Amino acid sequence: MAVWLRLAACMVALAWAGAAGAQQVTLRMWMHEHPPRIPIDKQIVAEFEKANPDIKVDHEIIPVAEYPTKLLTAFAAGSGPDIFNQSSMLVAQYYNAHILAPIDYAAMGLPNEAALTSQYSSGFDGIRFQGKLYGIPTEVSNWACFANNAIWREAGLDPDKDFPKTWEALPAVAEKLTQRDVNGVPRRRGFDFNWPNRATFWFMPNTMLHQLGTTMIDEENYKATIDTPAARKVFHYFQDWANKYRLGGPQYTDARTDFLGGRLATDCSFGIWGIPQMAAAKIDWSVHPAPRFEGAVSDNGIDIYAFYMMVNARSSPSAQKAAWKLVRFYTDHAAELFAGAGLFVPRKEVTESEAYKNNPAAPFFLAELKKARFSPRVVGYDQVVDAILRGRDAMLQGQSVETVLPTMDDEVNAALNRERARAAAMAR
Amino acid sequence: MIGRTRFRFHFKWWGLVFVLPAVGFFAAFNVFPMLFGLYLSFTDYDLLNPPLWVGLDNFANLLSDKLFLTALRNTLMFVAGATLPVWILSLFAALLFDQAFRGRDIIKAAFFLPVLPPIVVVAVIWRVLLHPNGVMTWLIGGRWGMTEIRWLADAVLAPLSMIAVHDWAAIPFFMVIWLAGLAGIPAEQREAAALDGAGPVRTFWYIELPHLRATAVLVAALSSINAFQAFALQYVLPTDPGGPANSTLVLGLLVLKYGFQYFRMGDAAAVSMVMFAMILLVTIVQLRFNRRA
Repeated sequence: MAVWLRLAACMVALAWAGAAGAQQVTLRMWMHEHPPRIPIDKQIVAEFEKANPDIKVDHEIIPVAEYPTKLLTAFAAGSGPDIFNQSSMLVAQYYNAHILAPIDYAAMGLPNEAALTSQYSSGFDGIRFQGKLYGIPTEVSNWACFANNAIWREAGLDPDKDFPKTWEALPAVAEKLTQRDVNGVPRRRGFDFNWPNRATFWFMPNTMLHQLGTTMIDEENYKATIDTPAARKVFHYFQDWANKYRLGGPQYTDARTDFLGGRLATDCSFGIWGIPQMAAAKIDWSVHPAPRFEGAVSDNGIDIYAFYMMVNARSSPSAQKAAWKLVRFYTDHAAELFAGAGLFVPRKEVTESEAYKNNPAAPFFLAELKKARFSPRVVGYDQVVDAILRGRDAMLQGQSVETVLPTMDDEVNAALNRERARAAAMAR
Repeated sequence: MIGRTRFRFHFKWWGLVFVLPAVGFFAAFNVFPMLFGLYLSFTDYDLLNPPLWVGLDNFANLLSDKLFLTALRNTLMFVAGATLPVWILSLFAALLFDQAFRGRDIIKAAFFLPVLPPIVVVAVIWRVLLHPNGVMTWLIGGRWGMTEIRWLADAVLAPLSMIAVHDWAAIPFFMVIWLAGLAGIPAEQREAAALDGAGPVRTFWYIELPHLRATAVLVAALSSINAFQAFALQYVLPTDPGGPANSTLVLGLLVLKYGFQYFRMGDAAAVSMVMFAMILLVTIVQLRFNRRA
């Protein structure tokens, strides 16, 4: 009898363990590498697992250079993560491929969209498609112009008073800050665009075109709008910068590196996250709004980009629910992520935090953020940027802007049409 | 008799067991990817959605694809610059180091040094040397008072810079192959030529060069295959891979762009197949020459 009782008890225990095992959800979470964020991530995940014993999280950090390819190949192999982060520049292809799950507000413990978005002052425009949201921002960033105060003063300029308000006034100020050798070659640049950085020639032309009331790509109709008078004005500006004024160009070292090394007086490719690097390089800096065009119709600074946490629509329904729960838990730690890793989101907890109040540039960035816009989100981002860079280089090699822009327009349209045709074919 | 048959049977099975891992490895990592690549070249595949069969469309599109045509032209120019000069200069270097002179071994070892680091390391070193205000500008432009040369940012200079850096690293490697060929020439033939009054040029032309025909074909084959597969220099040296204005875009780089930047795996596979066909053709032609040699 005792033997039978023991056997029955064992059966009950096994059945209970089996049921518990069946309820356990294991989430795979992939994030790109940002070293200061990693210990915070681990802490958040550990807290989440403790608060949710039925959910286990496999958290994987992937080097930035490998991240886009690894993510895509994993999705191709059907082994994509349940939760992943990606930038606003690259989210369109995931949306287009039906990989993004729309936000499950109930799983996040929220009644509706307004309950989520009311916590943020901006940042959702980069992840809204056809009226629906597909992710929550973990970083909303914009670049602004940093001046090396010591170099400015050495040139007899006061950055607070003399920083140019317009793009038209910038070359003259940059010239005063530039040191040249006997052949007129800049030995120290006054200001230069970050030519080697691919994103620069996505953000900067779009920023300038937004100021002039247009854009490079009509996102609604998925059509390039590059061969326009406004675009001609913008690309003439870049061409003159390198060829006529000889204030810089793609042949020089990355602008951020030279700014931190004291070889560039002004750089407009740092976000708020760049301040610790300037402190480490012992740069006495001041931050200024990006110039606007004279007669600009929009008072926007440099375009915004954001990183979003998103959920894989191909994961099981139970995994998706658990994933949205984790996304809410993670993004509720926004203040810690800003204090420890410099990742800013325009959210009340962040703007009321000590770290925000102690950061002298934070109110400036928030004010610029409110005026800035997202660059268009397109499938085939790299194809489009390559076409722009090819055109830019052709102009710098001496071809006229008027000759190059129609070709650039055609190439970008060809890339957009190809992606749209492919999406239509896939839908069929 | 029966015993022998059984022994043979067992022997073959054991042989198969022993070669199976190597064959399996080769099939999994060489044959399968090639066949899968061939299949992909007939599809439209963006990694995120299942491949769509498009037949020969990808190959037909290449004929009017500006990027492909630019990359093809750049590749052929790079092959020309990375084979003929390498062939001649490495032979010249081998003939030089085949002579006995003081300090030869030390100079030869120093000359061979560029072969040792991986090509990516070579590219990184040259990226510094070819800075517009860097060492090479000082060495070459300094004489004419130039303080800036856009080695890698000028659409004419950049492809020439690629060839120069490639040849700098390739010449010592092929020199060693020529030296091996020269070492195989019977000494008595050279001595006989010298006794007959032949000078160095006549000895080279009538004695050494005929013996070096197989080596010449080998050097031509290896250097051209190597050049057709160019990728690392064009990826690492310019500010933007393949730039400026696509002047250094080669087929190997286009495969990477199409496959893993544009996520057009079908087009990437089609370009790979064209590259494969070109290399195969060159190899067949050179093997025929080799047979004759």
